Amino acid sequence: MESRAVISVRGLRKSYGGFEAVRGIDFDVAEGEIFGLLGPNGAGKTTTVEILEGLRQRSAGEVAVLGYDPEKESTEVKDRIGVALQATNLPDKIRVKEAAELFAAFYTRSADIEAILRRLQLWEKRNAFYSMLSGGQKQRLALALALINEPELVFLDEPTTGLDPQVRLEIHTLISRLREQRRTVLLTTHYIEEAERLCHRVAIIDEGRIVAMGSPRELQERVLGHARVEVKTMQPMPEELPEAWREGVATAFSDGRRQLAASAERPARVVVELVKWLENAGVEIEDLHIRRPTLEDVFLELTGKTLRD
Amino acid sequence: MRLKAYIAYTKVTLLLTARDRVVLFFNYLMPLIFFVAFGEGLGAATSPGAMAQVVSMVLMFGVLGTGFFGGGIRATMDREAGILRRFKVAPISPAPLLVASLVTGWAVFLPSVFLFIVLARWRYGWNGPENFGSLLFVVSVGVFAFRSLGLIIASVVNSMQESQIIAQLMYMPMLLLSGAAVPLHILPDWLQKLAQFLPSTHLYLGTQGILVRGETAWDNRAAIGAMLAAVAAGLAISIKLFRWEKEEKVKPAAKLWLAGILLPFILIGAWQVRDRQQERKMKILERQSRRSQSWLIRDVRIYTGGGAALDRGAVLIRNGRIERIYPGASPEPKEARAEGLEAGGRTLLPALIDSGAPLADPGARPDPQAEERLLAGYVYCGIGAIAAEADPRGAAAALKQRVDEGEILGPEIFPVERRASFSLAAAQAAAGDAALLHDDLARQFFPAGWLDSLAALAGQRPRRPELFEAARQQLLAMWKRGELPPPAGAAGGWLGVHGPALIHELRLWTEAGIPAAQALDAATALAAQRLGAAGRLGCVREGCEATLLVVDGDPLEDIGALSRIHSVFVRGERVQRGELASRNKTGQK
Repeated sequence: MESRAVISVRGLRKSYGGFEAVRGIDFDVAEGEIFGLLGPNGAGKTTTVEILEGLRQRSAGEVAVLGYDPEKESTEVKDRIGVALQATNLPDKIRVKEAAELFAAFYTRSADIEAILRRLQLWEKRNAFYSMLSGGQKQRLALALALINEPELVFLDEPTTGLDPQVRLEIHTLISRLREQRRTVLLTTHYIEEAERLCHRVAIIDEGRIVAMGSPRELQERVLGHARVEVKTMQPMPEELPEAWREGVATAFSDGRRQLAASAERPARVVVELVKWLENAGVEIEDLHIRRPTLEDVFLELTGKTLRD
Repeated sequence: MRLKAYIAYTKVTLLLTARDRVVLFFNYLMPLIFFVAFGEGLGAATSPGAMAQVVSMVLMFGVLGTGFFGGGIRATMDREAGILRRFKVAPISPAPLLVASLVTGWAVFLPSVFLFIVLARWRYGWNGPENFGSLLFVVSVGVFAFRSLGLIIASVVNSMQESQIIAQLMYMPMLLLSGAAVPLHILPDWLQKLAQFLPSTHLYLGTQGILVRGETAWDNRAAIGAMLAAVAAGLAISIKLFRWEKEEKVKPAAKLWLAGILLPFILIGAWQVRDRQQERKMKILERQSRRSQSWLIRDVRIYTGGGAALDRGAVLIRNGRIERIYPGASPEPKEARAEGLEAGGRTLLPALIDSGAPLADPGARPDPQAEERLLAGYVYCGIGAIAAEADPRGAAAALKQRVDEGEILGPEIFPVERRASFSLAAAQAAAGDAALLHDDLARQFFPAGWLDSLAALAGQRPRRPELFEAARQQLLAMWKRGELPPPAGAAGGWLGVHGPALIHELRLWTEAGIPAAQALDAATALAAQRLGAAGRLGCVREGCEATLLVVDGDPLEDIGALSRIHSVFVRGERVQRGELASRNKTGQK
């Protein structure tokens, strides 16, 4: 991505009293890119995003959003970005269309309300009260409101947290569409699948620091170049390992030597050797597969924590 | 773009409010219940003053309610629910939200003003308000001011609970001490003083002044100014302290900002406590309200002057005048839309006029309380007007104005160049005879100790009965010439017993041989004529001022009936004689 940086962050720090929520973060988001901030609750994602949105003041560092300083020029920034907040609400008795019209009035530029509501499948619900909407519909409305000013940059803070899997899928489809429209999106999430599915690039945040950054694929490869071969057998596997595994192959047995996980840089060769070794020993294979590392593994490896609560 | 945001937000807030049943309940139904309950309870149908009181009261309920519980609580609720958070990421300042709250409060409240005025006119036959525009203006400014207060509360609290507590803490005293819920004059003095610092008191006195006295908004400019200052301060402080999220807490010290918005009222309150304007106005409003009460005096003998009396009839008093005289059978009070007063065959006559009432020693220092007591003495004895010497300092004229406006209760004062000075009562005192002190009315009104010490003083004076006899002969001579002087108590000569002296005088006249009818006419119609008040005072006719006297018995046959007073009306107000007497007895040393 050689296009200009829509967001640029250098040495960003934020303290609340004595607590440092963000401890020196650097990253850029390019135009048309969907950038994910991945991390557990309390990692500093929301703080970072809110500084970018112009809602909070930073303690130190340089930040530019669409060329503006969100602290000093927050109105300019807010006018040009779209935001779907994590925990937010609208008045119970506001109708969908009224909410859209209200928010449209706040911005210099505004999209065609009917088109937006149609695009988010809310046009049929335009006269429904907010309180009557389902969780998914509420989240779609949040997205609609985030897009109401035809923003150059969209912030989606945990857009699917608390939604059931089917609705989450629905929202993912909508976000993918933003990706097709080449809009710049900054997404925070603690769902691995979301980041893997939607993001061009991901930064993994833990305890206020970025511990890794790159495309989901890059991260998987860079951090854990090893794929794992996992095998399950009917009988216990022999004590003696194949000659070739002495170097470069890490093994772990379980279930009374009936299960084995072997990681190596070239998993295909390990499979060949494994099959040969087990056949020679007369051990029957019940199941065998190669597992590519996921972001979850990456996260676990980098932070020693799991993402899920 | 900015104006667009204001309009859009206000529109949505209005829509949301209209959809909120709780808001509608508190804005319309609750005040309506109060309106009907107090309207029936306070006898609004028989008294435009009471009606005005009820209208002011429900308007105050509405303004304070929408201010403290509409504005403040709503904003806090939206913050707690995370609704304001969503607006925080839009490129708007808090101003459109705050302005929308003010405008909505106003728009929701305004119809209730029309509702209550229409109800008052239709259900209770009220004919107010004279200055509807001024009324609307004052209550509108009031809504804005109290909404601003509500918004500041929202700005300085950290939770719904705190918001409720502070709103209640401000709402209750402001409502109670404004005069809307409880008449201020029954409160202890220090509370009355405190009340003058509250915004609600200014608003209440403003609406009452407009409803009862026909004041305009301009007459209430000080209160309006203070309320507008509160709106400006309220908006500025709310914008400064505005918080979009409940996670943003404010320091406890921020609550001091509440004092900031109260500052204009503290300033104008301090100024008004100093020049007693507000206190004066409270008393005037109270008096106006009493003067506007409608009365139907039933089953009464009506002395119409010249020795003639209507044997049985009823008198309808409305707005301080005799509206109608019903000869024969009395109508029901309900038909006449008036409070009934059963006279049981007693006699109604015009209140008396004392044509010679020395008000104060020319050299003495003015003592407002003594002046009030002195005037009370006249009213207590059924004297509705007095002629007093106009003094170079203008004290009599100033007192006259205070009585006319209603700040103090008293007979109408006519400052004249030379008051009547012929007084048998004064001559009797000069002769060393203190009979006046044993008069029933004097005993009822003045402290016994004071009368006794006067009697002791009188006992030490030389008795010169010839002085009194000479005066008596002089009176008879004048009578025979057909030149009866205007009756004057001249406060009983050196005794200084204001009020009973005139009754005593009339008794002395009849004892001297003057017919009671002539003595009465001299003290009523003729005296009024001399003072240029013929046809207004000293008469019982339709259109006359309702300054009247009801006595037990027939004074034409027994002048002593004048001492057996049943009721006194002054400009339509039924005088609380018992209260006057007990206040005088405790107040006078």
